[in-house]
Amino acid sequence: MNTRRDLLKFAGGSALGILFTPAPWRLITDTALWSENWPGIPKPARGEIRAKFTNCSLCPSGCAVRARCVGEQPVSLAGVRGGLCPFGITGHHLPNHPARLRQGMATEAAAAVAGAIKSCGPAERVAVLDLRPGRTASWTYRRTMAAIGGLYLAPADATVSVDLAQARTVLSLSAPVLDGWASPANAFAARDRFRLIQAEAVESRTAAMADVWLPIRPGSEEALALGLNGALTAPQVAAATGLTEQQIASLATELSAGGPSLVVDRGMSAAVMALNLKLGAWGRTVGPRREAPVPQEWKKAAPRTDLSAVADRSIRVLLIDESTPGQYVAWDEIEKKLVAENPVVVVLSPSPDGLGRYAKYVLPTAVYPESVEDIPAPVDSMTAGFRISTPLVAAIAGVTSPSEFVGTLAGLPAADSLRARADAIHAAGRGTLFTYADSKSAPLRGLTADDFWKALNAGGAWVGEPETVGPAPKIDAKATRPIPTGDRPVMLAEAHSALLVSPLLSKVYQESDLLLAPDCIAMHPADARAAGLGSGHAVIETARGKAAVRVLTDTSVRPGVVLAGRPDLAGAHGKVVPS
Amino acid sequence: MSAPKRYGMTIDVDRCNGCGSCMVACAVENNIPPAHAGANDRNGLTWIRVFKLDNGEDYPGKRSAFLPVLCQQCGEHTPCASVCPQEAVDVDPRTGIVGQMPERCLGCRYCMAACPYHARYFNWWDPAWPAGLEKTLNPDVAPRMRGVVEKCNFCHGRWHAAKQRAAAAGKDDIDPADYVPACVEACPTGAIHFGDLNDPSSDVAKANGQPESFRLLEKLGTDPKIYYRSKREWVRQAGKEPSHG
Repeated sequence: MNTRRDLLKFAGGSALGILFTPAPWRLITDTALWSENWPGIPKPARGEIRAKFTNCSLCPSGCAVRARCVGEQPVSLAGVRGGLCPFGITGHHLPNHPARLRQGMATEAAAAVAGAIKSCGPAERVAVLDLRPGRTASWTYRRTMAAIGGLYLAPADATVSVDLAQARTVLSLSAPVLDGWASPANAFAARDRFRLIQAEAVESRTAAMADVWLPIRPGSEEALALGLNGALTAPQVAAATGLTEQQIASLATELSAGGPSLVVDRGMSAAVMALNLKLGAWGRTVGPRREAPVPQEWKKAAPRTDLSAVADRSIRVLLIDESTPGQYVAWDEIEKKLVAENPVVVVLSPSPDGLGRYAKYVLPTAVYPESVEDIPAPVDSMTAGFRISTPLVAAIAGVTSPSEFVGTLAGLPAADSLRARADAIHAAGRGTLFTYADSKSAPLRGLTADDFWKALNAGGAWVGEPETVGPAPKIDAKATRPIPTGDRPVMLAEAHSALLVSPLLSKVYQESDLLLAPDCIAMHPADARAAGLGSGHAVIETARGKAAVRVLTDTSVRPGVVLAGRPDLAGAHGKVVPS
Repeated sequence: MSAPKRYGMTIDVDRCNGCGSCMVACAVENNIPPAHAGANDRNGLTWIRVFKLDNGEDYPGKRSAFLPVLCQQCGEHTPCASVCPQEAVDVDPRTGIVGQMPERCLGCRYCMAACPYHARYFNWWDPAWPAGLEKTLNPDVAPRMRGVVEKCNFCHGRWHAAKQRAAAAGKDDIDPADYVPACVEACPTGAIHFGDLNDPSSDVAKANGQPESFRLLEKLGTDPKIYYRSKREWVRQAGKEPSHG
């Protein structure tokens, strides 16, 4: 008869025996398999895979983009003529960005603008500030301002274009030639054929890739250009830049002997252009910037006015188009132009974090890739160009079109302006159409206006014909700002100024320090030690205010210089203190 | 039956401008979530990470280079595969790709300790995307759960898709242009090239025999399939020899 002891022995023996079989070990392994379907893990949507083509409007380069879509939803973006920058690759995240502006008081803003225009005094003005000039929307602003007697304000844009493919020696004065200043596809296709000399205060990404990096004092770029042009003496240039006279002489020799040469800075300033003319670059590596044809009736448009040329306290109504990432303009430069009492400022932006922080009205706009925008030829294209950033997804409800909002003031049908521009290009009958879907070029003459319009909306690109370059312009090379004579604590900012970036950029901002995050600064380790910034956290103080920042130390930053990830700190003087 | 492949990469360090496109494109392709609030450079998920190297000098003598580091796809004595108690790591004999099966992984992190390249990442947090961004996930790659190790697999989802396209066309071999990892496709400078190291006519096979070519920690004998290239001696030296600190 079995006893309770036998039963326990059997149970214990069985348990021990099971350990020598694969079963329990297999169960342990499979516990991991069971966790595969945790309810918290998102499930990617499924559907028909298709490709769409468009052009990226996040910067003036306007790279051609192939979108891989599931149904109508883009799930990845890739470049057609080479890769995209990290901002372009994640552009399809922007319509769903958590910090996006989704609501605004459009009706109230329109009423306030109309009322303020009616009550404008004789010395008071209406103005539009366009942070990305050169678009068809910019023409709408100019036409509207011409019709109502307002001002079209825009930051200066380069009036010349450059041809990197023709250059054998390129001197870059702090221009990020290989990091967004020129179109990546053009710059890297030509890279192996030119020698790049980068004169810059910090070892930027372009400086790291350059053949020669000349570490100059911040703000001495113009002095170097003037010195190479003979407008300053070698000792003056050496004192300003921190380079030796021998370095400057050998640079001058290299530019003249290693031609065709090209000198660039961020805005192709007068000093740089004068040097290019001296080097014989006009018509070879530098030429006039071409613009796609516009309808004849558009030409009665207001000219561009620089903000600094406007009288202080004279603008009653200011409309700011911040819908597309463009050049940065500091609010304190804008504010002093507004009338002291009750100015009406309307900012059209996809984000509440830009100039909208200071405005009475902030109206949400569509964002790439749901917005429709045209992209003119970039600075490194010697021919005219016209492309459309075709929407890949429908815009959310409640957004305002900046050109329609402004155009309404003069009764202009802004919604049709892109089609009117395309028709004007077609009527001119010159150039070719390139379609990315089949990688084919076709002369414009063989296309109907409707076919041309359809192709543009499918991501096609119109490229103008090369034109004869006229005589070189007369440029007076003289200093436009004080020549630096020594190091002072100065902030330099990285160029990126987009208001909305994909949360995935945290891979390069947070999970690595590859790009400088907006709340970060970089300093030379000796400067950080001297300022007592051992904790890595600090407060940066400038005339534009204070901000808490994280401090990264980097020996590629010039001692005495602070590199910031915020464009509003560019060129500011100040100090960094422990928090 | 097609001949076995040995997929590898050539990365031209002198052409890398450190923009981070490869890192972001990898995250888009492989459904890697944005950084958790608590994530940093030590515990984040970056299957490919671009490191900034320098020549050790101070300003103005300092010179920098950018070195993208991903799983080196070791071909010999693959350290992670040999230590995994779960058989969650395998080397595919058809492709030479070191695969990671998150469904089998128990999260013990032996593989991370064994990897000499620090190219493996532990998933510390539940995968989470801001509301609405789940719509942009790649349908070919399943998001991984918290508590498992992840790493680069040369965009294995793309390899499967290329195999399916080849099969649909009645071919054994995939078209090389059909299978390109996301980081290669994304690189705006053209610094990264991908191909079959067994194919002597491929760009990667041609490039790896050049004197400017080197592999990370080559003396360990793990036979990595990522070949780097630089004209600068200090870059080659930094890649070959480990440095501390």
